[in-house]
Amino acid sequence: MKKKEPTYEEAMARLEQITRRMEDGELGVDVLAAHLKEAQELLTSCRKKLYAADEEIQEILKNVEK
Amino acid sequence: MEASLTLYELNSLVRGTLETVLERTYWILAEVSEARLASNGHFYMEFVQKDARGQGLVARARGVMWNNMYRLLAPAFERETGQTLRAGLKVRVQVSVSFHELYGYSLVVTDMDPTYTLGDLARRRREILRQLEAEGILNDNRELPLPALLNRVAVISSAGAAGYGDFCRQLHDNAYGFRFHTGLFPAVMQGAHVEESVLSALEDVLAERERWDMVVIIRGGGATSDLSDFDTYLLAAACAQFPLPILVGIGHDRDETVLDRVAHTRVKTPTAAAAFLIDHQLQAAAGMEALSHRLAAAASDRIASARRQMELLAVRLPELIARIRREHEHALVLLTRRLLAARRQQVQTAGYGLERIEARLLAARLRCLQEARHRLDGLSGGLRHIVSERLAREGFRLEMAAQRCRAVDPVRLLSRGYSLTLHDGRPVTRATELQPGDEIVTKLAEGEIRSVVK
Repeated sequence: MKKKEPTYEEAMARLEQITRRMEDGELGVDVLAAHLKEAQELLTSCRKKLYAADEEIQEILKNVEK
Repeated sequence: MEASLTLYELNSLVRGTLETVLERTYWILAEVSEARLASNGHFYMEFVQKDARGQGLVARARGVMWNNMYRLLAPAFERETGQTLRAGLKVRVQVSVSFHELYGYSLVVTDMDPTYTLGDLARRRREILRQLEAEGILNDNRELPLPALLNRVAVISSAGAAGYGDFCRQLHDNAYGFRFHTGLFPAVMQGAHVEESVLSALEDVLAERERWDMVVIIRGGGATSDLSDFDTYLLAAACAQFPLPILVGIGHDRDETVLDRVAHTRVKTPTAAAAFLIDHQLQAAAGMEALSHRLAAAASDRIASARRQMELLAVRLPELIARIRREHEHALVLLTRRLLAARRQQVQTAGYGLERIEARLLAARLRCLQEARHRLDGLSGGLRHIVSERLAREGFRLEMAAQRCRAVDPVRLLSRGYSLTLHDGRPVTRATELQPGDEIVTKLAEGEIRSVVK
């Protein structure tokens, strides 16, 4: 089953947590890569929510011009 | 029959009397109950006065502002109050009383005092705010936390309004490429129906509140737009208690309406509302990028420190190994020493045990010997007695035997004249034992005789 996508707030909270643990040196080298991957996915999900895809912008502009 | 006046004559009389008796102008306080701009440019109103409870009317009069006066006074009034001259406003106006034979009684407005209207509107706003405060809901919407992202925006506006188009363009055409999703909830934004129309739109948003991050109430138009339509208690209460944060941009730059006061955020214009949303997203983006940089820095720091550790370890490793070896050797030496000491101790302990056993053995031996000696002593006493007794007895028996022996001693017999004949060393007791020629020896008491048998 696909994991439910976190909300922007949840994603940011998790990112903050990962970053803090990394800054505090809590994460061992073994789990570093896994956490980085998770953080990367969270960032992608956040960016997707924040920024529109190009085609989406074009569509919106088309509607606004009408 | 008394003399009669025509109606015109009477009205003329009234007119003349009024014009004689009354001052040229009066300042009066009244409420506008109707207002209408006629096509000829004259502005017609109805002034009323309500009773103390604000219910019934106690006075009514028609009013008119002539075309030229209207063009002079109305813009000044709107500029000062932010209101068009309309029904529902309380005004202080200078009027001259006019009585026309055909049109009757009316008040011709010659001047207006906008500050009175302004004061009255402000008082009404204050009353609404006081009531909201007393109910404890005045700041409810203002205190709602803004979500991290504000990109699902429910817009309450009139679809055709320029302000709405400006808002959408500004929002969707933002320079940063932020994604916004807007939904229009149409409402009348001007006139008597503002309250019910906006309330109904708010209800529609509420029905699907999960879909939206924020409600934006916007209205285009100039600064002279009529805003007091938004100063109603019901609208203010609905906005104050609305579960989503409300952003208002209803186009004005003078007084704040009650709506401005209760809404989460107020801006002046629809474009400013769009700018607010974009700015919010900009902050969210900045926060996210900052976090992303922190993450990258923390990760590379972590990796660098791990590498440093490893390098340090590589340098220290031989020394470390040597130290560990030394430590182990030392431990081994200590262990050996302890082992030896322990063995010595054990041997010593065992030695003590042996010595003790030896001593005990010795003692036991001595005791045995003593006992044996004792018994021997005892025995030897008895033995001596037995032996001497036996010796005595044997001595006696010997003596007897000697006596007997002496009796049969051949020497004695020989001496008595008996002799002993031997053949081949054996005594001969029968003559038949001998053959002629046998040499025999005859033993005498003294000497012997050798003979041959014939």
